[in-house]
Amino acid sequence: MNRINQKLQENKKLLSIYFTAGYPNINDTVSIIQNLEKNGVDMIEIGLPFSDPLADGPTIQDSSTKALKNGMTTEVLFDQLKDIRKTVNIPLIIMGYFNPMFQYGVEAFCKKCQELGIDGLIIPDLPVDVYHQEYQAIFEKYGLINVFLITPQTSDERIRYIDSISNGFIYMVSSASTTGAQSGFGEEQTAYFERIAKMNLKNQQIIGFGISNNETFTQATQYAKGAIIGSAFVKHMTKHGADGTGTFVKTIQN
Amino acid sequence: MRLKVCGMKYQDNIEQVAALQPDYLGFIFYEKSARNFDTESIPELPKSIKKTGVFVDADIDIVIKLVNKHNLQAVQLHGKESPEYCDDLKNRHAELVSASHNLEIIKVFSIKDEFDFSILKPYENTCNYFLFDTKGKHPGGNGYTFNWNVLNNYPSTKPFFLSGGLGLNEVEKINQFVNSKASKYCYALDVNSKFEIEPGLKDIEDLKTFKKNLSSILDNNKEIVMNYNVDEKGYYGEFGGAFIPEMLYPNVEELRQNYLKVMAEPEFKKEFDQLLKDYVGRPSPLYFAKRLSEKYNTKIYLKREDLNHTGAHKINNTIGQILMAKRLGKTRIIAETGAGQHGVATATVCALMGLECIVYMGEIDIARQAPNVARMKMLGATVVPALSGSRTLKDATNEAIRDWINNPVNTHYIIGSAIGPHPYPDMVTRFQAVISEEIKWQLKEQEGRKNPDYVVACIGGGSNAAGTYYHYLHEPDVGIIAVEAAGLGIDSGESAATSVLGKEGIIHGCKTLLMQTKDGQITEPYSISAGLDYPGVGPMHAHLSKTGRAEFMSITDSDAMEAGLELSKLEGIIPAIETSHALAIFGQREFKEDDVVVVSLSGRGDKDLENYIDYFKI
Repeated sequence: MNRINQKLQENKKLLSIYFTAGYPNINDTVSIIQNLEKNGVDMIEIGLPFSDPLADGPTIQDSSTKALKNGMTTEVLFDQLKDIRKTVNIPLIIMGYFNPMFQYGVEAFCKKCQELGIDGLIIPDLPVDVYHQEYQAIFEKYGLINVFLITPQTSDERIRYIDSISNGFIYMVSSASTTGAQSGFGEEQTAYFERIAKMNLKNQQIIGFGISNNETFTQATQYAKGAIIGSAFVKHMTKHGADGTGTFVKTIQN
Repeated sequence: MRLKVCGMKYQDNIEQVAALQPDYLGFIFYEKSARNFDTESIPELPKSIKKTGVFVDADIDIVIKLVNKHNLQAVQLHGKESPEYCDDLKNRHAELVSASHNLEIIKVFSIKDEFDFSILKPYENTCNYFLFDTKGKHPGGNGYTFNWNVLNNYPSTKPFFLSGGLGLNEVEKINQFVNSKASKYCYALDVNSKFEIEPGLKDIEDLKTFKKNLSSILDNNKEIVMNYNVDEKGYYGEFGGAFIPEMLYPNVEELRQNYLKVMAEPEFKKEFDQLLKDYVGRPSPLYFAKRLSEKYNTKIYLKREDLNHTGAHKINNTIGQILMAKRLGKTRIIAETGAGQHGVATATVCALMGLECIVYMGEIDIARQAPNVARMKMLGATVVPALSGSRTLKDATNEAIRDWINNPVNTHYIIGSAIGPHPYPDMVTRFQAVISEEIKWQLKEQEGRKNPDYVVACIGGGSNAAGTYYHYLHEPDVGIIAVEAAGLGIDSGESAATSVLGKEGIIHGCKTLLMQTKDGQITEPYSISAGLDYPGVGPMHAHLSKTGRAEFMSITDSDAMEAGLELSKLEGIIPAIETSHALAIFGQREFKEDDVVVVSLSGRGDKDLENYIDYFKI
């Protein structure tokens, strides 16, 4: 069974952390992943940086720009991850935009992910219908779970469609925003969280965008299986470097 | 081979048949027919389907009226219409200012066991197709086939429709026919009564079966006839689509579902046309550039988009989109801008309509385009600097998209070029298509023909080009020339010639040609002209490049600047530097003396004065 599905069966709320590969330093990738696991994080999204990350706010955009300047590329990332499964057991997901994967070759990319022990992908600008028609068979061939996003504006009908195509979890974007824009959740969000919880979807949900501390993590996981933190962690990296991983995770867990 | 389903009558049934994607749907306007179409309107159909009106010796005025009313793309003449009648009809239609396309004329001839093909000759010039039907009691719809062997003697090369009694039982026979010499010029199959539950009501299942059983034949020729327009899925060939994050899906989907419907509303068209006329100042002149023509020994016409209000073609699109935004109930407008032309055009229409306007502009562009920034501010817009990435157009576009993600309900994003996720490239193209629509009748007035030998335009994202080409895309006698910015030279590393340097990829929501690293990171283009300084081209242009329909040329900064100065001195027109690229082709490419070359003079050079001053040390 895919590590993501195994993890989703555990009887706990999941903490997932996003970081941009190649940031703050080009060779931080492996140590950040190891530190996150060591400190009890349940799942990791490894950001493959892109020059034009449309769905991201300034924090992740800046980290991506710097990572690219540091020399991060698809090849470099794959090379850094070549022995990752010797030391790390939690699910690993690559999150990135479609063009770099498209240039690498979607099948070659998926094949490589399988070899490295990557469990899934999140590709915000690969629409579900294009995935369904053109790429689903390839992803499945290499045992990869593709994770789709839903937002407060997504219609119930479309959520059902996305649920039917998904085979891991659904990434619930907490509000109409790019990453890192929110601070705290209001009534609108909780109403949306409740609405989705009541839909009894086949796939469990993990909430992302706007989770930055223990309070928002606790709020979000009242309604969902877990929560994803990205920008807040990247900001912490900016200040404290890769060694600051443990202190960040502790502030969320407490 | 194409498929036409004729004798449509009932709204639901029309939609069901349309869903099977035949190439033509026929509507009979003949009172004596049991299938006479007497309903007020034809439902919205995919644009790949040509609506065909079938007439029997009708008065031309009535035909024209119905063509306009139902926006018919073809007429099928089933009576004793003479060659003169066909000529007259074609000319009358072509003279209409609103005629946005060529009307296809299909002339019907009935055959039993023999036929005198010599009577076709006088129809050859005007008619696009012939249709051969079975001779019987009625003008069409008799329900049995004629002897197709007669077509062995078909002396013409004019493509024809095969009609008369085609049904499921004829599948085998059609297969044999297609493999015979008689089918050499057979262009389409025309079906009607054999697929009916009652006159005018088609049996969907039977049609499906027919299409399926003949799929190898029907799909085959589709590839031969190239379509340069967007298809129903939002693609131009392999380019286009909507590669957008889920956060944008509701906004883009709302637009996709509504844009054609809204554009087809008479009230919308009326308001759009009125504003183009009274506010923008259209039609823009088509000017014969005598001295420039003499110099290059060919006939050069300039389509004067520079004379539009705000000084460029950009306003055609912003007028269209602001009206669209209002129809969709939006109250807040966002836009991206590079040189500031589209920003000014957007700020202008927002002022006109009293809507809030936010324009994203790269920090570097803000510094180098101060007058346009001031214009936008005077017009009441908020100019927000894009501080990320390279701080130019590409990043301004990213910021605008992010704004839209954050404001999904009340905001419309007016994209300034024929780029972005479907339906933007098609919508922008349709708003800009007024350019070639006017060229057609203006050239007819001046040269006696609607089609020039070449249409020429510069391409950044490609909106003025898309509008200049639109009505000529499927006119094989019109050459299309697309001019990109070579910057300091194709191999200099400082260029914006996407068709040469770009590779298929995804930028700003569409699959197109774009300049990128081998890892798929989008690179920063360079051109002296801010309007051509974009790392991609619109998906339509990518398709035109890939299929070879358009000839792509690239012009360096210095050649463009010289061409701008030359036009100023020869014709008294100072062009925008973008436009100067299009003009520079005359120094690089030969045209015949009697060639008619229409160049889109997309913008005026006021905004570029500082550049010209610096460059020429004026």
